Amino acid sequence: MTLSAVRKEKSVSRMIVIVVLAILAALPLVLTKGWLSLVTEMLILALAAGGLNLILGYAGMVSFGPAGLYAVGAYATALILVYTSWPFGLAFIAGPFVAAGAAVLIGWFCVRLTQVYFALLTLAFAQIIHTIIFEWYDFTKGDNGIVDIPLPELLKPIPHYYYFSLIVVALCLGLLWMIVRSPFGKTLQAMRENAQRAESVGIPVRRYQLAAFVISGFFLGVAGSLFCGFNKNVFPNYAHWIKSTEMLVVCLLGGIYNFFGPLVGSVVYLFLDKVITGYTQYWPLVLGLIIIVLLLFLRGGIAGFIAERWAQRRGSREEAS
Amino acid sequence: MTFQGLIIQILSGLSTGMVIFLIAVGLSLVFGTLRILNLAHGALYMLGAYMCYWISSVVVQTSGSFWWALLLAPVGVALFGGVVEVLLLRRIYDREHLDQYLLTFALVLVVGDLCKLAWGVEFLLVSTPWPLNGPVFVVGMPFPSYNVFLIFCGPLVFAGLWALIRYTRLGKVIRAMTYNREMANALGTNVPRVYTVVFMLGCWLAGLGGALVVPTSSAMPGMDMVVLIECFIIIVVGGLGSLPGAFLGSLIFGLVNAFGILVAPRLAVAFGFILMIIVLIIRPWGLMGKPE
Repeated sequence: MTLSAVRKEKSVSRMIVIVVLAILAALPLVLTKGWLSLVTEMLILALAAGGLNLILGYAGMVSFGPAGLYAVGAYATALILVYTSWPFGLAFIAGPFVAAGAAVLIGWFCVRLTQVYFALLTLAFAQIIHTIIFEWYDFTKGDNGIVDIPLPELLKPIPHYYYFSLIVVALCLGLLWMIVRSPFGKTLQAMRENAQRAESVGIPVRRYQLAAFVISGFFLGVAGSLFCGFNKNVFPNYAHWIKSTEMLVVCLLGGIYNFFGPLVGSVVYLFLDKVITGYTQYWPLVLGLIIIVLLLFLRGGIAGFIAERWAQRRGSREEAS
Repeated sequence: MTFQGLIIQILSGLSTGMVIFLIAVGLSLVFGTLRILNLAHGALYMLGAYMCYWISSVVVQTSGSFWWALLLAPVGVALFGGVVEVLLLRRIYDREHLDQYLLTFALVLVVGDLCKLAWGVEFLLVSTPWPLNGPVFVVGMPFPSYNVFLIFCGPLVFAGLWALIRYTRLGKVIRAMTYNREMANALGTNVPRVYTVVFMLGCWLAGLGGALVVPTSSAMPGMDMVVLIECFIIIVVGGLGSLPGAFLGSLIFGLVNAFGILVAPRLAVAFGFILMIIVLIIRPWGLMGKPE
């Protein structure tokens, strides 16, 4: 590809991002409150999946327990709002930092192991978080969850919270975009391709993996805090393995080797969830069949598929000219 | 605690441990040979439990129907597993780990919902079969004789599997493939057929475990994931792919569980995880496994 072609592609993707943001900003004018809530949920799930994909797609670390850190973020914000008189802004910012702190602790154990063992250990820690939330009744209210979390008046209307989520998610995804484009992000990808080779050229693989795990945990925490404010209730099942798998499926559905994959995946997943649960209570069955079809026939996910087609078309056009 | 109480607690720990051994060893066997961590293993166990209920209370109406169910349900699960292996799993052996996890997870969802469609969401219990419906007296305390039967099932299956792997031709092939898959391939083993057979054997074990628990804890939705996570703990503690490791892991897990409930009933779930974390840090390849 020539330099001008690269520039052209950059300006095209910048255009797409601006158009998408403009459409999202205009949505409250046309959508009903129900649909606007769904879009808010999509944004939050997109951020969670995007944060997970930093370790999943870029660093090649398959985590089974992203929901654990997501729940830590959500519960940290919820507990601060319920037990202290901190303003919402401070409680909201504290959530991700608590999640990142938990990620340092968990990650320190997990990055010492690879592959299957890494996956199992992340699952174990997420289940431990779930158990603690579930059983520490005096502090976390156990399976009753924490309900009626006080929000500031300004954020109470659905459109207002939607704009708040949109700004936070856009900022965070912008940060993630910068991270994956940075030398740090490139190093993660090099480690994914061949950890031994990366080690032999002097990259401290474990330390990079830990850093990626903590950053990913931070963004999962942001998503958790956002969802806490959105739902105004938090429950132990935020940390459940089902939630973790939901995030993994979202990444896979959209495509893990594409930055926009998890975002596309989130939109498609929640839309299907909403539509299909309207017809049948057997949503897991349909979801399972969708995953099987995806794996056998649509490798690389939706975004990967589109990117591939796009490249093919342009390739044939360039050949013709 | 009294001496009698201690003995009873040990026995109940052993009976949980030995049932979970049957399931965990299947998972470990499949992982060791096929190199796939089958998340659907718990779902196959659940299928075994439902099939056992269905056969013993709907299909066979005569007395002793449970024993027919115990014989037939695992075979049914194995046949189901064979179909799954040939149609789906076979296509993803050379894929990345993530794809394998997700495919087997999709099976968890599909099997779970199919069970709901077929049998609903109620807890389905089968009464303890004759002649094991009375208690036996151990050091003067009553203990369900069915649980004594469960304790014997574990070592029996362990011995059977050990003999299979040690003395038969199939066992030799399995060992060769666990040891060095490429070399076994190169020497002309019919790999796809061995994979199908081993996977069916794993499913049979899961189904057997499922059928055995129906008289003690009934068949219900959600039982699949609970058992799957317990199996993870056991095979990580014992060593992935190791047969004696699964046995040792199950024993430890059963006892930790039985005594954990006494010490802190609400945190009993966490003890298993803590056990797993300790083992992973001290000996990441498991107590009986080999470092890779």
